[in-house]
Amino acid sequence: MLFLIELIDSVRSFIATGGNVLYFVAFALLLMWIMMVERYWFLAATYPTIRDEIIAKWDARSDTTSWYAHRIRDTWISETTELLERNMITIKTLVAMCPLIGLLGTVTGMISVFETMAQQGTGNPRLMASGISMATIPTMAGMVAALSGVFFSTRLDAKVKLAKAKLVDSLPHH
Amino acid sequence: MKKVINYVLLAASMTAGIAASANANDLNDLLKQVKADRLSEAKIDKKREAEFTSARADKQALLNKAKAQLKAEQERNKRLTKEYAQNEITLAQKEVELDNAKGTLGEMFGVSRAAAADAYGQIATSIVSAQYPGRGEALDAIANAKAIPELEQLEELWFALQTEMTQSGEISQFTAEVTNLDGTKSTESVTRIGTFNLVSENGYLNYNDEMGQIQPLAKQPAGYIAGTASDFFGETSGFAPVYLDPSRGAILTLETRKKTLMEFYHEGKEVGYGITILLVLGMLIALERIIVLGAVSAKMKAQEKNLSQPNENNPLGRLLKVYQDNKEADAETLELKLDEAILRETPTVDRGINLIKMFAAIAPLMGLLGTVIGMIMTFQTITLFGTGDPKIMAGNISLALVTTALGLIAALPLILVHSIVAGRSKSVLHKLDEQSAGLIAAIAEKESK
Repeated sequence: MLFLIELIDSVRSFIATGGNVLYFVAFALLLMWIMMVERYWFLAATYPTIRDEIIAKWDARSDTTSWYAHRIRDTWISETTELLERNMITIKTLVAMCPLIGLLGTVTGMISVFETMAQQGTGNPRLMASGISMATIPTMAGMVAALSGVFFSTRLDAKVKLAKAKLVDSLPHH
Repeated sequence: MKKVINYVLLAASMTAGIAASANANDLNDLLKQVKADRLSEAKIDKKREAEFTSARADKQALLNKAKAQLKAEQERNKRLTKEYAQNEITLAQKEVELDNAKGTLGEMFGVSRAAAADAYGQIATSIVSAQYPGRGEALDAIANAKAIPELEQLEELWFALQTEMTQSGEISQFTAEVTNLDGTKSTESVTRIGTFNLVSENGYLNYNDEMGQIQPLAKQPAGYIAGTASDFFGETSGFAPVYLDPSRGAILTLETRKKTLMEFYHEGKEVGYGITILLVLGMLIALERIIVLGAVSAKMKAQEKNLSQPNENNPLGRLLKVYQDNKEADAETLELKLDEAILRETPTVDRGINLIKMFAAIAPLMGLLGTVIGMIMTFQTITLFGTGDPKIMAGNISLALVTTALGLIAALPLILVHSIVAGRSKSVLHKLDEQSAGLIAAIAEKESK
C-alpha cells in the first residue's frame, strides 16, 4: 500500500514538473495501449473461431470456381479483413501523435520560460528552470510513449497481414 | 495724401502763433515772480535754520541716552555669557546625573525604540491595519521619539504587537471602504484571513499601505483561484477550501502579471487566427462527414437485412438496383455495370476527407510561418535596441512560440478526427467495393437454385 502511495506521489511530482501536457501524453498512451491490447486479444481469442467458421463454410460449398463463388469469397475475406484491421489506423495515428504532443509541451514550456524572462529578466536561471523542465519532460514522455507503441503496433500490423494472407490461402479456388 | 499735408501745415502754424504771443507778454511777469520768490525763500531758510539749532540740543540728549543703553546692554551680554557658560556646565552635570539616574532604563528605551521601528514596518503593511487603521502612527511616534517613551506609549506598542499576533490567527469579517479600480469608493463587506488575504465577493483585495486604502487586485488570478476566494467569502459556516497567499500579497501581485490563456491566444495575432479558422473548418467538415457517413452506413445496414427490396436512398440499394435491372445479363456484363455504379458512388463517400488531412498538415506549417515571422521581428528588435533588455525581445518570441503551439494544437485533433473519418469512409467503401458484389452473387445463387 505504502509502495502504491509512493508511486502515485512520484507520478504526481513528475506531472507537476512536466506540466499539464503530460496528461495528454498519458491519455494518448492509455488509448493506444487499450486499443492494442484489444487487438492482441482479438487476434488470439476471437479471430481463430471466425476464421475456422469461414473455412468450414467455404469447404462446405459445392461450387468454388464460378464468378459468383469468387465474389462471395472476396466478400468474406473483405469482411474478415475489416474485423482484423479495425482500429489499426487509429493506433498508428496515436503513435504518430505522441511525439507531436511532446513537441507541444516543448513549445508551451518555452512560452513559460519567456514569460518568466519578460517578467523577471534573465537574472535568475532557477526561475527559468521550471519552464525548461516543462519543455523537456513532455518531449521525452512523448518520445517514450511513441517508442513503446511503435514496436508493438508494427508487430500487430505484421500479424494482421499474416492472418489475412493465411486466410486467403486457406480458401482454395480454381 | 494732400489732406494729411494740409493738417500738418495747419498744426505747425498754430503752435508758432502761441509761442510768439507768450514771448511778448510773460517775460516781465516772470522777472517779477522770480524776485518775489527770492524773498519768500530767504524767509523759509531762516525758519529752518532756527528749527535745526533748537533740535540739536534734543539730538545730543538722545545720543547720550543711546550710549548709556549700549553700555547697559554690553554689561548684560557679559553677564549672560557667563551665565550661559555656567549653565552649560550645569547641564553637563545634570546629564551625567540623568544618565546615572536612568541606569538600565536607557537600555530599555533603545530596545523599545527598535521594537517599535520593527513593528512599524510589519504592522503598517499588514492587512490587519486595514481593519484597525491608525496603529502605525503611535508606533512611528515611539520609533522616532527623542525622549523616553511614556508609559501609555509603551502600552500602545504592547497593544499593537498583541493585536497583530491575535489577529494573525483569526478570520474576521468587517465593513470597509474599498477604492475601486476606476477611483470610485464603495463600502463593502470584507473578509480577512489572518494576515494573509483580504477577500470580498469579487475575489481578492489588496491593502495599499501608502495610501491606507483597500483596493481590488488589478487583475484577479485564474478563475479557479479567484472562485475559491469568493466561495469562501460567501460561506457562513463549516469549511471551505481557499487559496492562501503565504507571502502576504507578493504571489498574488506576480499572478496579476501572468497572462491568461486568452491573452496568450491573441499574441498569435493574424497567423493564430488563421490557424483557428483552419481548425474550425476542419472540425466542421469532419462533423459533417461523421454525420453523413453514419447515416449512410446505418441505411446500408438496414438494406443488408432487406436485400430483396432495393431502396434508392443508399449506395448499396442503388447497387442492388443495378443488379435487378440487369438480372438477365451474364456475369461479365454485370460486373462491368456494378463497377461503373461503384465508381459513381465513391466520390460522395470520401469527399472532404483529404481536405481534413490537408488542414492537419497546413496547421503546423502555419505555426512554423508564425515562428519565422516572430523570429524576424525579434532580430529586428535586436538590430534596433540591442540584446540588453530581454523583456523587449520576449514579446516577439512569444508570437513565435504561441503560433507554433497553436499550429500543433490545431493539428493534433485534426489528425485524430481524420483517422476516425477515414476509417469510417474506408469501411463504407469496402462494403461497396468488395462486399456488394458478394451479396449480389449470393442473391443470384439463391435465385438460380
